[in-house]
Parts: sequence; C-alpha cells; structure tokens
Amino acid sequence: MIRKTRRRRTWFAAAVLAAGSLLATTLPAHAETGVTTNSIKLGITLPLTGAASPGYNKIGNAMDAYFKYVNDNGGVYGRKIQLIQKDDQYSPQLSIAKTNELILKDKVFALVGPLGTANFTAVHKSVGLQRRGIPSLFLNTGFSGFANKKSYPTSFTILPSYAMEAKIVAQFLKENFAGKKLGLVYQNDEFGIDALGAFTAAGVKFDVSIPYTSGTQSAATAQTWVSQLAAGSAQVVVFFGVTSATAPLLAVAAGAKYAPQWILGSVGSDPLTLQALGVPVAVLNGALTPAGNPSPNDLTDEYVKQFQEINTKYNKAAFDDYVLQGMNLGLMTVQALRAAGPSLTRRGLIRAMEAKGSTFASVAYSPLGYSRTSNVGHTGYYMAVMGPTGDRKPFGGTVMLYTTDSGNGPVVKSNFKRPAMPAKGLPNNS
Amino acid sequence: MRNFKLKRSLTLVAASSMLSLTVVSIPTVAQATPACTTANFVTTCLGATSDTAPYMMMVPANFNGTVYLYSHGYRPNVPVPAGIPGYGGYTVTNTPEPAPGGNAQIIGALLGKGYAVMGSGFARQGWNADSAIKTNVELIGVFKKQFTKTTKVVAWGHSLGGFITQALAEKHPELVSAAAPLCMASDIGPLMTMAGDALWGIKTFFDPTIKGGNYSAGQAGYAEAMGDLVKVFTVIGSLQAAIGANASAPAWPATSQVPAAIKAIPSRSALVMVALMSGVPLQSAHFDSTSAPPGIPATSALSFQLAINPALAALENVANAAALAVLATHDLELQAGGAIFDNTATNYAARVAEEQFIWSSALSGVSGIGGLLSVLAASPRAKANPAAVAKLATLTGHSGKVEIPTILFTGTADPVTTAGNQQSVADKYAAYWSEKWAANKKAGIRTRPANNQLVLWNFPPEKYTKFTAAGSPDTTVPAATGTNHCNFTVAQHLAIADMLAYAAVNGKNLSGGALLTKLRKAGNMTFDRGYAAARLKGLGG
Repeated sequence: MIRKTRRRRTWFAAAVLAAGSLLATTLPAHAETGVTTNSIKLGITLPLTGAASPGYNKIGNAMDAYFKYVNDNGGVYGRKIQLIQKDDQYSPQLSIAKTNELILKDKVFALVGPLGTANFTAVHKSVGLQRRGIPSLFLNTGFSGFANKKSYPTSFTILPSYAMEAKIVAQFLKENFAGKKLGLVYQNDEFGIDALGAFTAAGVKFDVSIPYTSGTQSAATAQTWVSQLAAGSAQVVVFFGVTSATAPLLAVAAGAKYAPQWILGSVGSDPLTLQALGVPVAVLNGALTPAGNPSPNDLTDEYVKQFQEINTKYNKAAFDDYVLQGMNLGLMTVQALRAAGPSLTRRGLIRAMEAKGSTFASVAYSPLGYSRTSNVGHTGYYMAVMGPTGDRKPFGGTVMLYTTDSGNGPVVKSNFKRPAMPAKGLPNNS
Repeated sequence: MRNFKLKRSLTLVAASSMLSLTVVSIPTVAQATPACTTANFVTTCLGATSDTAPYMMMVPANFNGTVYLYSHGYRPNVPVPAGIPGYGGYTVTNTPEPAPGGNAQIIGALLGKGYAVMGSGFARQGWNADSAIKTNVELIGVFKKQFTKTTKVVAWGHSLGGFITQALAEKHPELVSAAAPLCMASDIGPLMTMAGDALWGIKTFFDPTIKGGNYSAGQAGYAEAMGDLVKVFTVIGSLQAAIGANASAPAWPATSQVPAAIKAIPSRSALVMVALMSGVPLQSAHFDSTSAPPGIPATSALSFQLAINPALAALENVANAAALAVLATHDLELQAGGAIFDNTATNYAARVAEEQFIWSSALSGVSGIGGLLSVLAASPRAKANPAAVAKLATLTGHSGKVEIPTILFTGTADPVTTAGNQQSVADKYAAYWSEKWAANKKAGIRTRPANNQLVLWNFPPEKYTKFTAAGSPDTTVPAATGTNHCNFTVAQHLAIADMLAYAAVNGKNLSGGALLTKLRKAGNMTFDRGYAAARLKGLGG
C-alpha cells in the first residue's frame, strides 16, 4: 500500500516535471511587458517642442544614440534597446496622457529619464506607476521630494537635488563672497522651494529676492528683475531657474550694463542653449555655476571623449551638457539593465538598482546614493567658472567636490573618485 | 497675453446632461395595474407605484424576457427661477425616464433586439435614493406581474441613478441579474463635502455674502438657496469676463473681500485653488489644460498651457458643480434637519500638498499658493449640525458588497460626480473580494472568488480645446468625451446594454478579447486594471 502510494507520487512528480519542461520549451523566454528575446522597449516623456524645450529636447536623441551604439555592439544580453520619446511640451496634463500612451499603447518595459518636477508628480499621482510596478529610472529633475523611497518605491533620481545644490552654493558663498550684497532670482515653485529652504537653513540671507512663476519668463519680466537687482545693488546674483529664463535675464542685464557676479544654477546654464536663445555667449564670461559633470568640451575626460565619439557617429548634434547628460543616462540605463540579469523583469530591475546602482559608472563626479532604502542618485557638485566661450573650468583650477544630502546633513569636501568609464563605453557589469 | 472673448457663456453648458427628460402623459396617483397601449409592435404602459411615482414600461412584441430598469439622475426638488444660467426655468418634475435621457435611439435599439425598457420618475426629487430603491423594487414586481415572460431584470442609471442602481444591486441581487451604475454618485458624505468645499471656496475668495449652506427652513431657506445660485453665477460671470479681458492677471470680482495683498495674485489662481481643494477636475468640457492658441509666441503658449487653460477648465467645471452643490445642499439639509457641511477641521494645505506642485503655474507659484492658503486658513469655517450629520449617515450608502455582475463606467473628468465616486465603489469591492479570498484560503479553498465588477473609464483626449480664427477659446463645440457630467454617446450606452445582457445571461461579465472588441467598437471606453482615479477629497484623495 505504501509502495503503491509512492509509485503514484513518483508518477505524479514525473508528470509535473514533464509538463514543466514542456512549458519551458513552449513559453517565450520572457513574458515581461516590453521585453522580448531580442528587444527591450523603454519610454521617456520630455518637452520636445515649445518654450521649455530648448536644451531638453536633445536629451532623448542623445540617449537613443547611445542605445544605438550599444545595440550595434551586441545590445544588452542580446537584446536591442528601443527608446520611445513622447513630447509633453512641459505640460503636466500632457505628461499624464503621454505616459499612459507609453504604458498602455506602446507597452514599454520602463520609463527612463522622465523630465520635469510638476510633470512627474502628475504622472506619479495619475498613472499609478507604483501600482503597476513600472520602474522609472533617472528622473530628470532635482526636486528633493522624489527622494522618498516609500512614496516613490519604483522611481530613482539621478541629479543632485535642488536642495543639495543650494546648500553647496550657500557654502561657496560663505567661503568666497562673505560681506557682498546678494541677490536671488528663482522659479517660484518646488524648484525654488528646495533652493530657498536650503539657503535659509544655511543662514544665507539675500538682499534682493525675486521669485518668478514658471512660464512667465520673457524679456519684459527680465527687465523688472534686472531693475530690482540693480536698485538693490546686488553684487552677487544667484539664479535658480530654467535656461529659457536665464537667457532673457543675462541678455537684459548685459544690455543694461549690469554686471554682477552671476552664479547660475546647474539647470539653466548651458552655453549652447543660451546661444540658441539669442544670448551672446560672452555674457557668461566669469559666471560661476555648480556643476556635476565635467565640461562637455573637456576631451581629457574619458567619458566626454567616448560620448563625443558616439555622438559624432550616431547623433550628429552639437555636443553640450544636455547631450552629455543624455548619453550618461543611456550608459546608466544599460548598466541597470545588465545588473538586472538576462531574465529581465521590472521587479528585478528595481532590485538591481537598489543592490548595485551605487556602483554604476557615471560621468558625474559625485557618489550615487542608491540602496535598498534610498532612491537618491548623485549627491554633490563642484563649482565651476565659465569662460568667454561659455566653456567651464573648475573654480580654483581643480575639481573641489562638495557632497551633501537634501536634509540637515553637512556640506563636506569629498575625495570620491568616480568609477572608470567602461572600456569603449560598453558596460560589462552584471 | 492677448485678450479674448469666449464664444458662449460657460455657464450655459452646465445642466444640459442632467435634465433631459422624456415628456409623456403620466398618471398622478397609484395604479394597481398599468394602463397599456400597443402601437407599432410596442406595448407602452404607464402607471404609478404605491408611492405615486409614475413609471413607464415599453415592451416589444418579440420580448425576449430581459428588461432594462433605468434610474434617472438628480433632479432638483425645487423650481429654479428663470434667469439663473443653466437651470433657470426648471420646474420640479417626476416624468418617468425609461432609458438614459429618454433617448429614442437607445430605446429603439433595445426594443429592436427584443428587450423591454422601464423607468420610474420617482415620487420625490432631490436626493431620493432610499425611496427610489423601494420604488424600483415595487416597479420590478409590477413589471413581472404584467409581463410574465420576464426572466431577467438588468438595472442601469446615471449619476444619482447610478447610486440607486449600485444600491439595488447590493441589496436586491434576487431581483436584478446585472447592473451598470454609470457616472455614479457614491458616498454621500464625501460627495457633499466636495460640494461644500467648492461653495465655501467661492464664498471665501469671491463673495462672502454667499451663504453656502445652513439654509433656513421653508420658503426663507429656498430664497437663500436661490439667492446663492444667483451669486455663484454672478461670480462665475465676473471671473469669466475678467479672464477674457486679461487672462494673465484677471481682476477679482467686485464682491471679493480678500485683503488687497491677496488681490495681487491673479483671481484665476484662486479659482484653480477652489477646484483643487474640493476635488473638481482641471479638464473640462472645452478646456484640456494642455492646449494654447495656435500662432502665439512660444512663451505665451507655455503660459497659456500651464496657467490660463487650467483656470478656464476650473471656471467651466466649477460652474457645473456649484449649481448642483447649492441645490443638493439645500435639499439634503432639509432632509437631515440642519447644516451638513463642516470644514472646521479641514486642512486645505494638506489637501493640495501634492497637486500644488503639478499646478504651480496655474496657482501663481509658491507665493501665490501661500497667499491663497493663508486666506483659507484665516477664514471662518462652516460648522455642521451634529444631529443632521448623524441623520445623513443613516441614508443608504454603498458597501461595495455585490454578488451579481456590475459594470461601472464614468468620465475621468466628470465635474459633478467625479471619478473618485466610481473609484470608491471599486475600492470597496476590491476590499470585499479580498475578504472573500482570505476566507476561502482560511477554509482551505484555493479557488479565487470570481471578480464580478467590471470597471471602465472614459478618458478625455490629450488635446481638445478649440480656438476661433481670432485665437479665442471656442466653447460652442460639443463637450469633449470623458468630460462633463454623464457625457456618454449612444454607442457607449448600447455597448453597456449589450454587456449587461451578456452578464445577466452568463452570471459574469464579458472579458478577454470579446470585451476589448466591444469597447473598441463603442469608442472611448477603457478597461485598465492598473488605473485608479483620484479619491474624493473627503476620503483623503
């Protein structure tokens, strides 16, 4: 009787194994949305047209160029990456619609580099990324509110937060411009809140403080900013806004012969974009800016050199900070996909980011903060000075990296050495 | 920003979908047996249930045994004097409505397939769910007695009728085989909180003489409510004119008493704040919050997309929602015996904590948001009558516990019964399903319970705001799909009807490819398990 039962069990187990092997041979290797045996579909929303698009509209093409380079070199575990770009015109409502399109119609595996604080907040609230378990890698926004793993468990930031940036600028102001009259022009939203809060916490008081509402930037409004700054005799002016606001500010100031020491936030200081918006690059001469990456013209930098080569062959765009950033997003995405292994799943990608993300190679000088409890990307800046061509060099001649967090942590000078660029710019991590 | 004139008063679009009625001759007293006439192979029966609610039945000669029971939406229970935009000239009516809006195409299509249709006008208008459920139960009995061939009853309804339909499905699965609450109301407390917040916001920012609730008894209270309607629409009209004159920095209505410093914030931002704090969507019939007039400079276009268009959406939606808010508040206060809206503990800053980032430009940035929230924080709050609130809580609500197949469908930008109403019932059902699954597992049953709730959404298009050749928004075009209250097409209604018939016969909802094909053919009907609408603000949304 016992033996008989055992026989039955053996027979049953064999049948299950046989069925299992049958399934293994007949089912596709990957049933994850957006992933096939030879492709991975990714999506990004960003402003490709409209007033907010200058500069940002280069990021997607740069990422795509990098992916094409990787695809031509074997892809990721044999899979070629397809990037679908959607133009949200910087409108949050449109970001929702476009992200829904990426998820429901295009059926992407993950979002990479979605751009804009209001935009991603809207998407997160309305699209249900968390509920759907869709990874959102490398958010193109510095809003510190996204650095909340509980609220954004499937999302990962890439840029140092605006709060980190302001804390570092505050430290720099104290070290280099003590006693000067200070001015601040800032975007009057979460972008500015982050900065303003950090400046206040750091004890920096501005003699002239000018908020502007996103979308109202123009030559006319810049005229009022410059008038207020000049009337307040601001000697050092910190600007926390987008490039489409930097442009009229600098142009109007130059016209009015108002020449304070400019400290331009990392978001709005790309020289080529300013030039495209009609601002003579020479007005940037001497302006200071917190920078995370090396200059896009620094061919001594192994990352820049490699990315420029890829850009020349696959993108043919003028190489600037946005292209550099896009290429780097591509590099990091490929490392994340590789870290998730050949059996690619959304859950696996998120786990890989948590477990291995902090070790990824990246063009930026500062450490990456990813872990099981943190979705924070880069954590620091160095201060750079811009020349007459808009090119930037480290302030003081060498990179002095400051790192910090978005909270009450101190600003510290760091000796962190970033990982080397993978050979030929092709990651082989696992 | 150029000036522009809207081609039509926004407020005129308000009530179009709510008050479409079938005009028939109806009995005014209860009739034990309906009076029937037959013409063109259709038997039409009129009668009244024991509560004197008139009803109408239409049964084709080839009746297949299934009848559709329709419950109409909210009709004010007081006449609305002429001159009030949207509602002016309304007189209380209990004309029966056997199909959505009495639509002849829908009725014709159903009769043509052998189905019967019926509906009551209900004995009392206003919020009448409790009595309407009883009326419907009696009506089903009358129908079955009259037409003994009846095998299945399926229920459907709009708005308050959706509430009634869901409640009928929960309470009387023995009578109804399948149900479709459409653009449904749910959770009367949070729903009236939304109405109260919107009214209180309008009062606080734009006209403190608006009473906004706590209306007196009798004729005096009626006069106060009608007075509020006039004031609300006067405010809406003033804002509309101000935005038309200067969209970037529209003036505040003359009736506003906010401090002068606050008036430095564009009034349109206060309007957006009213919408956000109460949960009124920022996509309206004609304003998508994404479009800008063609041909204007890029920076102006961005400003229009981010700041002006959302304000116009708020204007249009608040106009739609506010009128019903006044009428429903007046009605429910009378039923409950006192004020039902209480915001003494409401933290409006918390309410908009996340959305303020999304709509920062429309709210005029951080300083604008701070200023507007400071007004809300400093203004006198409305206090409810506890006994009235307690009485309101005794009215029928939804448990979400339903065993028969149900189909939920709403527009995600419905400004009156916002999508959060449908979401609430979906959430309750999900919790109920989880309870059942847990019980199964505890009992050693490894079979998942059937999911008998089909949740469908109607999303507005990405862009739909139309502009005239002069660049002004054109509000003469039809409301976009997914917007406005209960704004469904005949094709959508018939798809729902088909799915109800399937569910009634099979005991489960249509699924898989057949479902998707049905939805695709009807157009603008989305089945997406991953989507969840924003919860009602009163429920923490």
